[in-house]
Amino acid sequence: MNFQFSPDEQAFAEEVRGFLRAHPPGSYSIDGMDAGYGSGAHSHAFLRALADQGWLTMTWPKSFGGQERSLMYTLVLFEELAAEGAPFGPLAGCNQTAEGIIRFGSETLRREVLPRIGRGEATFWQGFSEPDAGSDLLSLKTEASRRGDEYVIRGHKIWSSHAGIGDYGLVLARTDPAARRSKGLSMFVVDNATTGMDIRPIRSLTGEVYHYEVFLDDVRVPAGYLLGQEGEGFTQLLRGLDTDRFWGRFYKAPMLRRVLGEMVQYANVTVRNGVPLARDQGFRRRLATLASDVQAVRLLFYRIAWMIREGLPTPYETALVKVMADETGQAVAALGMEMLGLHAPLTGDSRWARLNGSIQHLYQTSLGQTIAGGTSEVLRSTVATRGLGLPAEARARD
Amino acid sequence: MDFHLSDGQQLLVSTAREFLRRQCSPSVVAESLASERGFLPDLWKEISVLGWPGLLVPAEYGGSGGGFLDVALLAEEMGRVCFPAPYVTSAVVGASLIAAAGRRTQRERLLPTLASGERLCALALTEESASMSPEAVEVAGEPGGKLSGQKLFVNDAHVADMLIVVARGASGLSLFVVDARRPGVTILPMAALAGSRPCEVTFDGVELHADDLLGERGHGWGLLQPALEAGALARAAEMVGCAQHILDICVEHAKGRKQFGRPLGSFQAVQHACADLLRDVETARGLAHYAAWSRDEGHPGAGDIAMAKAYASRTAQTVARKAHQLLGAISFCEEHPLHLFHKRILAAGLDFGDQSHHLEIVASAIGLA
Repeated sequence: MNFQFSPDEQAFAEEVRGFLRAHPPGSYSIDGMDAGYGSGAHSHAFLRALADQGWLTMTWPKSFGGQERSLMYTLVLFEELAAEGAPFGPLAGCNQTAEGIIRFGSETLRREVLPRIGRGEATFWQGFSEPDAGSDLLSLKTEASRRGDEYVIRGHKIWSSHAGIGDYGLVLARTDPAARRSKGLSMFVVDNATTGMDIRPIRSLTGEVYHYEVFLDDVRVPAGYLLGQEGEGFTQLLRGLDTDRFWGRFYKAPMLRRVLGEMVQYANVTVRNGVPLARDQGFRRRLATLASDVQAVRLLFYRIAWMIREGLPTPYETALVKVMADETGQAVAALGMEMLGLHAPLTGDSRWARLNGSIQHLYQTSLGQTIAGGTSEVLRSTVATRGLGLPAEARARD
Repeated sequence: MDFHLSDGQQLLVSTAREFLRRQCSPSVVAESLASERGFLPDLWKEISVLGWPGLLVPAEYGGSGGGFLDVALLAEEMGRVCFPAPYVTSAVVGASLIAAAGRRTQRERLLPTLASGERLCALALTEESASMSPEAVEVAGEPGGKLSGQKLFVNDAHVADMLIVVARGASGLSLFVVDARRPGVTILPMAALAGSRPCEVTFDGVELHADDLLGERGHGWGLLQPALEAGALARAAEMVGCAQHILDICVEHAKGRKQFGRPLGSFQAVQHACADLLRDVETARGLAHYAAWSRDEGHPGAGDIAMAKAYASRTAQTVARKAHQLLGAISFCEEHPLHLFHKRILAAGLDFGDQSHHLEIVASAIGLA
């Protein structure tokens, strides 16, 4: 057993830290809000800077211009970036899309989209949910029909993160209306600039824009922009969601470690009612408990990463760790709010704010995370059925 | 990063699981716990043949010189069957303390019989204050003098051949190894739940010989710490094993029992509770393995073992309580094994530092002033 990164991987971690010292994350312009997952804000400039280091193509095959490094390097990169609070929001989506194109994509996608990902010029949003298809995603109504060399997509997507500042959507649509629910779906890569795309912002409870809804009014997509084969959309979706639960959450553990560290420092220097917060047995014990929970999440992520690298099946593990990561994040943010007390609701715009107003932002964004990417309820059922072999609950239809 | 167990560790786990499955059924556990000693001598002899009591004893004294991860793996297997024996008390804490603190003559005299399982050792540390701090030690003793006072919560003292006693003298705290039958030593079991066998141990002017002093005079507290950590880690792993078995019972029940015409496990309320038990077991195991590994590698974080122990205590207790709810009325019966696992978890959670003790260590380790 060995919980350590290899010497080469540790050297890479040092390389990333060196890069961050030379390129302070705070110096990059921000395009979209930090959604609190641990990957920071959305910054296209920072993404391009990462691409300039060759860090967007690390795990790609050499034949696609990559470096064929193991996924551990991606882990190291995420961990170091999250520990510094760098704005690498779009990175996980880029990695996942690149992997999908490399494994299943057409020559067209490999030629026209993949190189742009490698250069940090393309970011992606997910067009999965619809107004009437949330957890019950298979009831989605968006349709795509083949016309010559194109597909024509018509429908309405919602909760698409940063869609308005992205370049392409991954749009799940029904290509065979007669097929059973999980059959007859296909995944498309859709250029934001295509005629018929109407992308409208939804202001979130933080006052900023994170989600968009997307209206597709007979949007014409080249047949080569189908990801995988027609009818394989459900497989692509599961693959995407599964990796999303891992890669889209992995950086939460190092981010929460950083936040807890800030809370510990705050507790050490803050005197309330004549006593340092750090000597308040209630806060002291809860901080120690949450530090343990964060470490438990981190170790679980490491174990799953190793399983993925070894090619072992992970039928329930990503669902399990996603639920725990998000709930632990909510607990950290809630404790932070309690520790900050009257200062907690102050935003970064107030000169009286503590910790730059970051805790209230984390608290607000954390509320959405047990919903996005599979609700905790759906995922607990996944763990129970696929991890423990409990019988699936009877459904009205399937 | 590599989560494979070594060949030797895999063999240890598979041997232990198979042996304990065959030899330590719930009825054997119940019979053992109902007996005066609290364990079956024949079963102890058999694990001695397997070499388990010598796991932490260096090879030159008849042991196998294993590490913390080996102990964690074995203790988890023991937890899975609620193994009733003073294993952690004697083989983990007693043996490792003598191996680390004893002079060569003491190691030669004491370790071979501990490693072979012929003799048992208990640690007499806590007193009426039930505190885990050095200031709380009041039992008095000087090398060449006499040992006086009373220890409480001394697990397994009633079956121990020797006691390691923490005592206060002019130069601070010292450790003494004392024969449990030496004149002036009185050992009385304290009536307690089935999870442990705490004893009241009274020292009434017990003579201390020069060779009883373990380690340097006045340095007892420092010498004790690695052994206490070994004990805490073993108890954490044992709780993981207990919780894993409880989870297995719950899942079997949820699959097999039908109500309202469908298996219990098809109800979301039951599914979600079971999913949380799985989360608790797997994460507690991860922390225990990490703490053991980092100690074996020689670069432990200050709070690793404390974190593993506090986390396992909390989650295993949650698992046990939730299991009573999932299993329903049958789990309230003495004949159902759940309460034995539950009580073992309660006792293990207290042994070598309870949750608040270990959370305080974690609090310091994360930098709280």
